[in-house]
Amino acid sequence: MSNDALINELAANLAPVQRRSILRETGFIVALGVVELALFLGVGLMRPDMGQAIAVPYMWWKLGSLAVLVGLCSAIAIRSFSPTSSPRRGLIAAAATALAAALVGALIDPGAAAGATILERLSPVEGIVCAACIIVLSLPMLGMLAILMRRGAPTHPEASALAIGLTAGSWGAFVFAFCCRANDPLYVTTWYLLGGGAVAAIARAVLPRKFRL
Amino acid sequence: MAAAQAGNGGVYRRLLSELTIWLRRYFSRRMPPAVVDDAVQETLMAVHRRRHTYDPRQPFLPWLAAIARRKWVDQLRALERHAAADLPDTVAVSDHESAVVSASVLTGLMSELRPAQASVIELVKLRGYSLEEASRETGQSISAVKVNIHRGLARLTALIVKTPDVE
Repeated sequence: MSNDALINELAANLAPVQRRSILRETGFIVALGVVELALFLGVGLMRPDMGQAIAVPYMWWKLGSLAVLVGLCSAIAIRSFSPTSSPRRGLIAAAATALAAALVGALIDPGAAAGATILERLSPVEGIVCAACIIVLSLPMLGMLAILMRRGAPTHPEASALAIGLTAGSWGAFVFAFCCRANDPLYVTTWYLLGGGAVAAIARAVLPRKFRL
Repeated sequence: MAAAQAGNGGVYRRLLSELTIWLRRYFSRRMPPAVVDDAVQETLMAVHRRRHTYDPRQPFLPWLAAIARRKWVDQLRALERHAAADLPDTVAVSDHESAVVSASVLTGLMSELRPAQASVIELVKLRGYSLEEASRETGQSISAVKVNIHRGLARLTALIVKTPDVE
């Protein structure tokens, strides 16, 4: 087909389009997050001692770090759906934030791990269940962001997919943190990182496939 | 583009015609001549599919250039996927020198590759040599030619993706 024929075909019966809006996309994500968290807490899955737990720095560290990561990664992901934005620097900032959060976690001692071995602190069986729960809880957010990516025009789809995975993974961890009874930063850092990292790896592997600008 | 977003077909047709000239020049400096038209049309279709993502408050050219750049990467990846395939006769060009010079940006980037990779990419992908001819010319085995084309194109693609403004 010649260029002229293609241009005529594209211009024929041209329909008006609704412009992409970052504000609207942010609204979709916030709405989904509110609904998911409300449903999760509404069915009574919040840890029963949350009233006391929320008073200790450990819980503030856990929820605060994850909330910051969700906010940062979602902003990076949404911005990256525009052709002119590259998420690379943002992803480096997100990685640095996650590292800083883990370091802060190492300084927090809730006193629950005194005398325990590393294996006891990690509690692998419960940890794997935690990581699996994080993956499941991240799926709605992953789906929503995948749709937004498809409707956008990311020119770095691999990096956008990674940003989406990090957003969904940190969101899944944030929701799960409300029911997780573990009070050990080592446990949280290890298994939350594994769950969130698995979501990021899945997103990075799957989302760019068959994506066509 | 703002008028095109509102459904004005006449203005859109004129815009795409003007874009074609710009895109042809853009890809001629970056791609072998045989694939320039494909790249132009792929980019026009991408502009059409993603026209809702253009924000009229922002300049148009960076938006277009970002899409064109992505299509350049896609085309290089397509070349990479077909690295081992024999090229059709239409890819060979009579004027080898102009073909190489026309893809000047690509040629410049090839200085970043290992000499063995750069030489076979130049011969097979830019000058239209067959794998056997490139093998004879460089003294590499045919398998080595295939591997070097594949790895060289992968490296070129990675360079373009990682470098914000390749010129």
